[in-house]
Amino acid sequence: MAQYDRKTIEELIDGTIDFYKLKEMLSNFKDTDRFDKYISILQERVPWDDPILLPAGLHLYIVLKPDGKRVVKCDCGHEFCEASDNWKLHALIHVRDTEEKMVELYPKLLAPDPEWQVIREYYCPNCASQLEVEAVTPWYPILKDFEPDIDAFYNEWLKRPIPQVK
Amino acid sequence: MEAVTTRNAQILAIDAGGTMTDTFIIDDNGEFVVGKAQSTPEDESIGLLNSARDALTYWNTTVEEEFPKLLAGVYSGTAMLNRLVSRKGRRVGLIVNKGMEDFHRMGRAIQAYLGYSYSDRLHLNTHRYDPPLVPRELTRGVTERVDLFGNVVIPLYEHEVEPAVLDLLEQDVEAIVISLLHSYKYPQHERKIRDIAKEVMKKVGKEVPVFASVDYYPVRKESHRTNTTIIEAYAADPSRETLSKIDNMLRNHGAKFDLRVMASHGGTISTRANELARTLVSGPIGGVVGAKYLGEQLGIRNIACSDIGGTSFDMALITQGDLSINTSPDMARLVLSLPLVSMDTVGAGAGSFVRVDPNFKSLTLGPDSAGSRVGVCYPEGGIETVTVTDCHVVLGLINPDNFLGGEVKLYPERAYEALKKQVADPLGLSVEDAAYGVIDLLESQLRNYLESMILGKGYSPSQYVCFSYGGGGPLHTAGYTKGLGFEDVLVPAWAAGFSAFGCGAADFEYRYDKTLDINVNNGDEDSSKLKAGKELQDAWDELIEKVAAEFEKNNFKRQDVSFRLYFRMQYQGQLNDLEIESPIQKFKDINDWEELVKAFEETYARIYAKAAKSPELGYSITGAIVRGIVEVAKPKIPEEPLSGETPPSEAFLGQRDVYWKGEWIKANIWEMEKLKPGNKIGAFSILESPATTFVIPPGFETYLDEHRIFHLKEL
Repeated sequence: MAQYDRKTIEELIDGTIDFYKLKEMLSNFKDTDRFDKYISILQERVPWDDPILLPAGLHLYIVLKPDGKRVVKCDCGHEFCEASDNWKLHALIHVRDTEEKMVELYPKLLAPDPEWQVIREYYCPNCASQLEVEAVTPWYPILKDFEPDIDAFYNEWLKRPIPQVK
Repeated sequence: MEAVTTRNAQILAIDAGGTMTDTFIIDDNGEFVVGKAQSTPEDESIGLLNSARDALTYWNTTVEEEFPKLLAGVYSGTAMLNRLVSRKGRRVGLIVNKGMEDFHRMGRAIQAYLGYSYSDRLHLNTHRYDPPLVPRELTRGVTERVDLFGNVVIPLYEHEVEPAVLDLLEQDVEAIVISLLHSYKYPQHERKIRDIAKEVMKKVGKEVPVFASVDYYPVRKESHRTNTTIIEAYAADPSRETLSKIDNMLRNHGAKFDLRVMASHGGTISTRANELARTLVSGPIGGVVGAKYLGEQLGIRNIACSDIGGTSFDMALITQGDLSINTSPDMARLVLSLPLVSMDTVGAGAGSFVRVDPNFKSLTLGPDSAGSRVGVCYPEGGIETVTVTDCHVVLGLINPDNFLGGEVKLYPERAYEALKKQVADPLGLSVEDAAYGVIDLLESQLRNYLESMILGKGYSPSQYVCFSYGGGGPLHTAGYTKGLGFEDVLVPAWAAGFSAFGCGAADFEYRYDKTLDINVNNGDEDSSKLKAGKELQDAWDELIEKVAAEFEKNNFKRQDVSFRLYFRMQYQGQLNDLEIESPIQKFKDINDWEELVKAFEETYARIYAKAAKSPELGYSITGAIVRGIVEVAKPKIPEEPLSGETPPSEAFLGQRDVYWKGEWIKANIWEMEKLKPGNKIGAFSILESPATTFVIPPGFETYLDEHRIFHLKEL
């Protein structure tokens, strides 16, 4: 079974990995310890100590708090909400819904018509990192990107109990 | 060692790989020796000479002694392909239609996943575009436009050519390629640009080679045509120097023949040929060419070729004595317009990795492989994943002390341990059952591929004789032909060197293609049929000139060349055309048209069904092809007197335990070289030779004929 060293997984996270190495990884069965290596690298890189249960997007993690709550947390330490809630509703949102705002991104006449489509950008209120961008019709609700079943993931896929508060 | 033997070396076949150069020298009895030496990329002739010396030591003779006796030499090498794959070719400039400067860079979507396994084709994240052969900065546009009928819609803006050429020269290009849309229909514009470019270069005193696509590949599909012409300039033309060095070296050592190069259409061509890009591929087609030659000698018209090497299983069909040709194949992840012997290849060979899918606990084979690094049983290879060869070793099918004639020592206990840990334990099987399961799975996969390839082309295995060769072929011949009902199954005793034999057996042959668009509707007047015939004849005449000019470079006169004319035809509006040998030698009158149509419809009925014939759609002629062949020396097929059915006792090497279908049984081991024509050998037997192993499992027996070819019979 394939095994990769820590450096390879770091390159994978940073996006600096060589394509041929990446292709080999993609074409193979997944290495059994990937999740653990991946999480431990992420954990090492953040400045706080709450254990990461699952990555929740670029810069975002679902972490276990000392009181047992599962919270969505940013790199910078900002805590959005509980994992069951939608973090997007707790972020700063910039909506590009006029032609002027669109031409900041696109050449003239190549942008979507804001009557039909708007661009929503989500930012961290503390560090201002861009966390998510979505191109949606103007009336579209703000939905969760995904709703992981963390308990099932640990119990049935990783086949071990979920980390608990000590 | 034998005392004094006089050898008559006849054919030299060279396979110059990236690391090793192999030479095969075949004598007039069909016996051959193999030499190996380190490749010398800076001057390949050195490595080749060393390799030939090595080969001839087995016959106790020398290069000086044997080279003057040689009748023919055929080269195939990977230098050109390596140059292409590693993007280390010439700095080429490209001139295309203005406004179309990006088409080469965009390529075709299929190029993002060519060469991938089926699962990766579906897995979009793995897809990737390789860097283009000519970057956008070295591409210039010139205004002109020709439509698909060959009408000039915008004339060539000749004044734009000079600045484009000067611009490219200023960027130090080493060659210029010209490729315009629909130039195959109207070649004048490309040729005009070519001539202006040459004048400009002369004027400024900086001359580089110029390649107009119509001078090389006047065929439809601009991506394919442009890629191929670029390869000509980028990777093929630089090989000319290498080839002439080798030719000179051979001559200096007394050789009297013209060195030829194996080409993708299944023939060999001169090192001075106009289109050298088609020598890019050569390895796997050697065996198919050899099978065709052997078939001709033995009077077998329909052959299913099968070849198991270390990394792949290659299949090809020879029908009615002819190879089938793919006119737009791909190589090195590029779509091309070269005629290539069509082959089906799957990534399953003796070196294929064996894994257990961690999610579904099923066995998977390949598609990647250990190649020359054999498997876990070969510590020097440094492989940690179990391979098919490891299973062979565990089952006792191959002799660990006589692998490649004992040159490579294998360790069965290493294979056993790895197989236990990686495959048997996770599946809850004994190690032997796991190994047997792997072989069974491999053979049933190969059987499926072989059967579906033949059925998919509209034929049935019962119409074919199966040839099995390659280092790993005979190990599995019984397994993958079982129950398919082939007319006969043949294993040549020289199976391991069959590709080299094939290279030596290839015709000296040029093949040129041209795209045509000739439509004749159902019920058209005779005049339109005559016009169509004349257009076809004009194309043939043009191609005959091209072929004759190539042979003239090697001092063959036109009357020595036997020309074979072909055409491609389809019903109007259908998608697939068929390549057919023309029943007429020259188009003269209306009867000739009827002959062409009849030949087409017969082929159509053979491949599809009689009831599918659709003359009401009318006909399209989509291409003209000319093949020119001259007589050259070829290896002889061995011929020995028959002796009795009982094999001689000196061929018997003893017995070995082999695990087969759940039990250990005693297998008789025979030395392949010592068996005599006429001998019959039953199960369970293993025939060993230095480079191949032939297994006769229960339910089979084999018979060696007077040409040293084994016939495998299902009882």
